[in-house]
Amino acid sequence: MRQLAYVFDLNKCIGCHTCTMACKQLWTNRDGREYMYWNNVETRPGKGYPKNWEEKGGGFKNGVLQTDGKIPLIEAYGGVWKYNFEAALLEGKANQLVPHEKPTWGPNWDEDEGAGQFPNNHYFYLPRICNHCSNPACLAACPNKAIYKRPEDGLVVIDQERCRGYRYCVQACPYGKVYFNLQTQKSEKCIGCYPRVEKGVAPACVTQCSGKMRMVGYRDDKDGPIYKLVEQWKVALPLHPEHGTEPNVFYVPPINTTPAMFEEDGRLGDTPRIPIADLEALFGPGTRQALETLGREIQKRREAKPSGLTEILIGYTNKDRFKL
Amino acid sequence: MQARKLMKRLAALGLSAGAWCLAMSATAAQGSASAAAQHTIRVLSVTGVDAASPEAAIWKKAPATQVSLQPAFPGHPAIKGVPVVERLTAQAVRVKDRLFLKLAWSDRTANTAIDDLARFADGAAVQFPINAKASTSPFMGDSENAVNVWYWRADGRIENLIANGYGGTSSSIPLPDLRSTAVRRESGWEVVISRHLRVKQQEGITLSGRKSVPVAFAAWDGDNRERDGLKAITLEWWQLRF
Repeated sequence: MRQLAYVFDLNKCIGCHTCTMACKQLWTNRDGREYMYWNNVETRPGKGYPKNWEEKGGGFKNGVLQTDGKIPLIEAYGGVWKYNFEAALLEGKANQLVPHEKPTWGPNWDEDEGAGQFPNNHYFYLPRICNHCSNPACLAACPNKAIYKRPEDGLVVIDQERCRGYRYCVQACPYGKVYFNLQTQKSEKCIGCYPRVEKGVAPACVTQCSGKMRMVGYRDDKDGPIYKLVEQWKVALPLHPEHGTEPNVFYVPPINTTPAMFEEDGRLGDTPRIPIADLEALFGPGTRQALETLGREIQKRREAKPSGLTEILIGYTNKDRFKL
Repeated sequence: MQARKLMKRLAALGLSAGAWCLAMSATAAQGSASAAAQHTIRVLSVTGVDAASPEAAIWKKAPATQVSLQPAFPGHPAIKGVPVVERLTAQAVRVKDRLFLKLAWSDRTANTAIDDLARFADGAAVQFPINAKASTSPFMGDSENAVNVWYWRADGRIENLIANGYGGTSSSIPLPDLRSTAVRRESGWEVVISRHLRVKQQEGITLSGRKSVPVAFAAWDGDNRERDGLKAITLEWWQLRF
């Protein structure tokens, strides 16, 4: 089976949410999907979307499907807020635009909060889609065999005819990336924009990324950016690999999003502002080596020396970043 | 050992379906002679009566049978938990060419809507082997021998299903003639499910012209997040005697 995969370079994400809007316009702004963000961008450190998804359980332990996963309530995603557009903008009956209910959570609720004390505080953005895992827990958890990996590209999809809305998949996905549609009473998720992929067009979230931080291609394409960054340079890492689902979205960890920490005397020191342990908790044991490689190659570039890695990460054109 | 306790123990041990079936057949064998006599639901045949409502007067006359339910074999590693419902009362009335089945069971909380992501609705189901033979597996049938399931859910849905065993084999066959009326009491549910005796072959079991037909039951407590294989069921066929 060929496996489509993604690399998201977190050093280039500016948190603009254009990816999210592209996905929402295309797939989730209607028919019971309004609360869903198949693509979301959250601020780290933070509780994310859905709220506290890292504590929801699911995945595998020693190869055994975990059945203790939680099904988040809708308030963990945020409501579908309706605004008083007419009253405020057309009729002059309201002074400001307000949602119909008081929001208590939503996508990127943790916006720019971050951690640490000024001037040594930090945050970075984490865009998330379905990981289209090689060993999907959602697929393993479906008693109805409604979830499958497409043989042509490995994208994980839910057969809407077979799904009976039992939500074992929602429980099992440790990333909180399977959603239950209250209107259709079936589960849904990111489909990797497969109708586009079938035509050789990159997924909408990838194409629209204004920071050009998303790359897409096949795992086994040795000439493509995915193979080079994941297998060759080993700078692109899966999110929470400990869940055993073998994700196919890989992240270049942030090294350059914040300057090093200031020392007591105000000089810029050399201690990384984002604690390595925090990044290792997200991206696993390969983090340290990936950061070292990135640091070394970025330094070469700064010294105007050739750097094959930074050439790939710059991704000058769509052809460089999308290889379908 | 009581079947419910046995099931809990087996579930805790993570035993296979084969082990479970062996254990259950041993349990069933012990009381098979008396069970065959007892496991009968007699159909009261009447005319000129409306039995569609659980509150209809005819249900005071129809024989009421206590049906013991046990935890179903989960059939999939994702399905964990122990169902709540332990028994239901079954009654059957035939009015001309229509069968009415009334099920009543205790349920502390009315779960009548799937209005949030982690909510599940109460439910109940009646199952028949399409070939009307008790040799068909009462556990959703198998690839050769299909079962017809009438699945009622407390959000008002009723579904006509054909299944060929575990694991996504059930198909929903539209059948507007399959109807249900439910009444919520403080202590639980009373539901009447009705259908014409005769349907097209692809729509399920035809009941006309039969003296007796195997029947099985299931119940789900939505408050306990019961759905799919997390359900209380009859572990063997009962007989619906016309």
